[in-house]
Order: sequence, then structure tokens, then C-alpha cells
Amino acid sequence: MKELYKDKFTSVDDIQQRFESAKYICSEQIATCVYIAHNLQKPVMVEGPAGVGKTELAKTTAQILDVPLVRLQCYEGLDESKALYEWKYAKQLLYTQLLKDKLSELLEGSTGLEQSMERIHSHDDLFFSETFLEPRPLYKALHEELGCVLLIDEVDKSDPEFEAFLLEVLSEFQVTIPELGTIKAKIKPLVFLTSNNSRELSDALKRRCLHLYVPYPDEKLESRILSSRVPELSDTLRKEVVSFVQQVRELDLKKVPSISETIDWAKTLLLLHSEQLEPGMVKQTLNVLLKFETDIDAMGDHMRTFINKAHKRSGR
Amino acid sequence: MQQTLEDFYKVIRAAGINVSPSDTIETSRTVALVGYTDRNILKNAFQVSLAKSETEQELVAECFEQFFSFDTFSAANDPHSNTTAGSDEADDQQPIKSEQNEAPEAQSELAKMLMEGDTASLATEMKKAAREVGLTDIWFFTQKSLYAQKIMQKMGLRDLQNDIAAMGKGDCPSSIAQAGELRNAKEYLAESVKDFVEQQLSMYGRNATRNLREDHLKSSKLSNIEQRDFHVMHDLVRKMAKRLSTQYSKKKKQDKRGQLDFRKTLRRNVAYDGVMFETYWKTKYIDKPRLLVMCDISGSVQAYARFLLLFLHSLNDVMQRIDSYVFTGNLIPVKDIFEKYPVEQAIDKIMADHGMGGSDYGTTLLDLDDQCMDDIDNKTTVLILGDARNNFLAPRTEVMQTLHLRAKRVIWLNPEPTTFWNAGDSVMYKYRPYCHMAKTCNTLDHLERMLDDLLKAATS
Repeated sequence: MKELYKDKFTSVDDIQQRFESAKYICSEQIATCVYIAHNLQKPVMVEGPAGVGKTELAKTTAQILDVPLVRLQCYEGLDESKALYEWKYAKQLLYTQLLKDKLSELLEGSTGLEQSMERIHSHDDLFFSETFLEPRPLYKALHEELGCVLLIDEVDKSDPEFEAFLLEVLSEFQVTIPELGTIKAKIKPLVFLTSNNSRELSDALKRRCLHLYVPYPDEKLESRILSSRVPELSDTLRKEVVSFVQQVRELDLKKVPSISETIDWAKTLLLLHSEQLEPGMVKQTLNVLLKFETDIDAMGDHMRTFINKAHKRSGR
Repeated sequence: MQQTLEDFYKVIRAAGINVSPSDTIETSRTVALVGYTDRNILKNAFQVSLAKSETEQELVAECFEQFFSFDTFSAANDPHSNTTAGSDEADDQQPIKSEQNEAPEAQSELAKMLMEGDTASLATEMKKAAREVGLTDIWFFTQKSLYAQKIMQKMGLRDLQNDIAAMGKGDCPSSIAQAGELRNAKEYLAESVKDFVEQQLSMYGRNATRNLREDHLKSSKLSNIEQRDFHVMHDLVRKMAKRLSTQYSKKKKQDKRGQLDFRKTLRRNVAYDGVMFETYWKTKYIDKPRLLVMCDISGSVQAYARFLLLFLHSLNDVMQRIDSYVFTGNLIPVKDIFEKYPVEQAIDKIMADHGMGGSDYGTTLLDLDDQCMDDIDNKTTVLILGDARNNFLAPRTEVMQTLHLRAKRVIWLNPEPTTFWNAGDSVMYKYRPYCHMAKTCNTLDHLERMLDDLLKAATS
């Protein structure tokens, strides 16, 4: 098994710079984690609230390393046949039907059951070869010639059985297919697992992974992210938006807005040609930021104070 | 450096994070990769590879800051700058030293270092000595002075004392003065070492003392546990209940009845040429075990009642389908109270409103028959906490019989030891035939084992 990616990360700083040029602003901790994972070939378990860029991290890494991203979305009831491989039964059946004549030709001249069986035996592996194998994400990831980034999304949604199955894949980077034997990765993929903590994952799985927690960004980081994602936004408005969102996060809400919502909101404001935060405009676009009616109601009283503070922050 | 890393793992373990040998190997590799040049990166690397959850990350960061700080012999501990006139003394000292060439010179390394105020080497020496005496094994505060003494000995306390004695003997006033100064310095040293040991104890012994206390609490009788331990108990019970409930979280089962999932069935059976060997059904059901708990809070179990209630409260927190009742003479639902108030208030309120008085198991059972019997089915486990002291009233065993027939399991936990059952007004023997399990339960360990059994049975 080779372990060489064409591209290599040389240092933590290098990662931060290259991520930044790919429009993903990452904190030092994230960069360190990716650096370790890449060099020691360990899977990364990324946790954190929804919308802080967990999935985006994997995508950007793939983009920077210039390798394909293989994504496996987990859900309840996901099993091996959907994650790893499945036989193309229909094709197998069709082929046996079509090749019936050939089969009888093959058996021609053989006397007795034993001899016929032997002849068939010498050919039967054909039907359980890779031609009849339907590759699923995990199998694909192991087969990539140049390595890949494997994203196992929302692993906490899958069943415990599937989690146990993942253990072999993640520690050895190999899988066992009864008919074909053990298949090893050509190049160990860089694995990201994301979790929203809807269920406690097993210690065995946690132990095999580096653990990365991505929190909501602080004001400075969020401002940088926003300026790289929505560069058209004016400085003043950006400061105001960030300050406003940071204040909203302090509230007791059902769904606290995360970075992706901030970006969406900034884009919305840009589309509506706002120059600064105005109560009317904020009220109309609040549904981009907050996803529950009760949350929007809860905002009602605070909105004006938040906007005022945001204005002060931006120096007006 | 390996030794330092191992010491750090010890600190991490003491903080309550599980670090397995394979974790330490991986972490050592990680550290080798990122190097020691950048403190922040090193910290991040430790966080990423040792922690397994958000809270653990915080802990690792905290331990890191504590462990990798080197300021033991800070200026405050320096004998020469501590006193207000410290700087003057230091200035005076040089001429004294040069004058007294004939007087007995300080011999030991330690004395020299102290005289010169070489804090850096002092700190290094102390760390070396600490490692030699195995300070990282310190567990309890009672070991503090022992370790401090050991470290001082290793650093050469005896030689220092000899020096002081030798210098004090002569008539030369300057050497006597110096002896006095050394004596002062020795005290400062002792102080510093003590501080150092204390700081180390706070890192390495963090968990040990708590564990000891918790172990003790677990095995002591519930009635003997004092009020001040109540909080520790509460956390302990919660931890226990939480662990058990995640271990036996609800399971989904495929039903074998109802509507056929045609697509899935066909798909699965293509391999058999469409002959349906394996069938799949659309309905799924979630196995929801139900628990009904009744807790005696009468005078006879007064000592236990608070803890039984605490236990009940914790169960309420972690289990979804649980009906809790207390009783003395009547059955009183307390689920609402538990939900509305924090634990201590809830327990006080229940005890004040319904507590005391003599228990009457007969009427309570009749109440149960009246109010809850319809809800009890073959998925329900009934848990009764009480001493079965019925004050010579009618035991109403017939209700217990119905209960036994209807419920999945009936479990009776009695705080009294088996020898007291049936002594005096206890009617435990009358109830026992109708219980699937009847056991003594008066320590937390008992409770834990019980709960384990209970949940295992509830989910299997």
C-alpha cells in the first residue's frame, strides 16, 4: 500500500494559507488537526453544531489535495450493500440466460456429473468477479488510484451495526468481501467523519479517530470568513452583520444561526442593496437567519438594541 | 522527553480522561510530527489526539497549561528579593563573601545555589529530585509533607544542614551571619518545595481523592450518609443512571407482521432468482420499556427515603417512560414535582407534603389497583422500594398477585437485611412470592447492580 499523495502538506501554516486561498478560513486547531491526520493517516471525527463548515472542511481538503471526494451520507438503516458493494444480480441472471448455449457447449463431451461440475467450477468465478460488482462509496474510496478524501457524513445517524463495520475500514483501510477476499486501499484515503451528536458514538470508533470540535467562530474569525466568502460586501456592513449575528447567538434560541446562515444573510442583504443594517430590512430578512417562528418572535424586543450595538461596532 | 510525555499522560488520566496505551502511542507519534517549537500547535495536537469530546478538549487544554508552566521558583520565592530590604542584602553580601576567605566556606552544591540565588538551577534540581522520588505517584494530601521531605533530602538537605552547623560554630561574625542567612534560605527552599508538591498534587491526585470518597460512599449504607455528601451522591447516582440508560437505549425492531415491503423484499431476493426467501415488512416498532416505581417515604424508612427519592429523581431524568409514585398510606404521583423542581427542592417538598406517618401497604396496593392497574401490561416493570412494615394492617396480597400476573416483572427492594424480614410488623414474606425478585438494597452498589439487572430485563 502506498501512502503518497501527489500533494503534501508541509506545515500547519502551509495548510492555513492554502485553505485560505481556497476560501476556507480555518482556525489553527483545524489546521493542526488536518496536518496530523494527513501525515499520520488517521481519520478525523469532526463534531460541532450544524452549519459551521464540517462538510465543507472535507470538500476543501479534497479540492486542495486535488483528489476526488467520495461522500457517504449515513442514515438509519444504511447497510453494507449500500455502503460497500452489491452484486449486480440482474446482470448475473441476464448473462446466465444469454450464455446458456455457451454453457451447454462447455459441458459437451463431459461424461458424468462429476466431470461436468469440474468444468463449471473452472469458470464459476467469472460470475463473482468485479464485472458484476456494483461499487458503493466505501469500495470506491479504497479503489481510487490517487487517493481520495472520504467523507462519512452524519455517522451518528447510522445504526450501531454499521458503526462496528466501519471499524475495520477505518483502522486497516481494508474490507473483506466473502467472494473476492480482502481488498486493501491502494492509497489510504483521508477520512472525515462528521457527527451532530444525536447519539453517543462507541468508544471503539472514537478511539480510532482524531477528535476535532468546530465551535461557532468568534467575531474576528467570522468577519474573515465572511470577507472571503462574500467579498462584495462593504466593510461597514460586514462588521455590522457579524456583530449582529454574534449578539443573536447569545440569545436562548431553538436553532442558533451558524456561519452558513450568516453567509446566506450577507448575500441576501447584498442582493437587496442594503448599505447598513436597518430595522425594517432586518425584520424582513430575519427568516434567512432564524429558522423557527418562535425564534423570530423571541428576537422581536432585542432587535433594535442589537442593531444599535452593531452600528457602534462598525464605528458609525 | 519521553518521561515528560508520560508524566503528562498521568496528569491527563488524573483529570479523568481515559487514555489507553494505544492513545499514548498515537499521541507520541503526533507530538514527534508537530514538534515542540510552537506551543499552540502542540497544545492543539494534544487536544485533537487525546480528547474524545468537547468537554475533554477543555480538560486537556487546562491540564496542558498547568503542566507546561515553569515558574516554581518565581521571584516571590527568591530569598534575596522577597524581603523588602532584599536588594540591599544582596549587595552587602558580596563584600562579606570576599572578606571571609579564611572562615569555613559553604561546601554543598545546594548551599552555593541558595547563596547565589540561582533560581533556575534550583528549579531544575528540584524537578530532578522530584522525578527521582517519584512525585508523580502522589495521590493524597496526607502524602504532601512526606514527599516534600524526600525531595529536600535528595537535593542535599543534610549537607546544607552540616554547612549551617559548621559555619555557626566559629567565632567569625560574618560566617555566623552567613549561617543565619542560609537558614533563612533553607526555609524559603522548604516553602518552595512544599508549594511545588502541592501544585503537583492538584494535578496528579485530582481524581484519586474524589474516587476514594465516591467508593466509600458507594459501599456505605444509605442511612449513614450525611447531608453534606448529598451533592456528591446526587452526581454519583446521576452518572450511574445515565451510564446504564445509554447502555440500554431503546432499540428498534423490525416487525414480522403488517404490510409487506415489496421493493425491499424483491431487491433482497433477486439473488434467489426472485423466490422470496427473506421477507421484509414495512412496520417497525420501537421497544419502549415502561417502569413504574413506588417509593415508601414513611417514618420507618425515613433514613433511606431521601436517597430512594434521589435515586428516583435521577431515574426520572434519564428514562423517558417512567411513572413515579410515593406512598405512606396512599399512592401519590410525583412525576410533576420531579419535573418542576430541582432535585433538592423536589425531595424536600415531597417529604414535607407527604412524608412521615405509618405506612399502609394494603391501601396503597388498593390505590394501585384502582389507578394504575389498567396501564400495567406485559412491558411494564414494577419497582417497589420499601420495608414492607405494614403496622399490622391488612396486607392485601391479592393485589400483589394480580400485579404479578400482569406486569413483566415485579421487583421489591428492601432496605432491611433479609434476617429482619418478617420480624415485627414486616410482611415481606407475604409479598415475596409475588415478586420476581426481592432483594436487600441499602448501599449505592446494591442500587447499581439492581438497576443494571432492571434495564437489561427491560430492554431484552
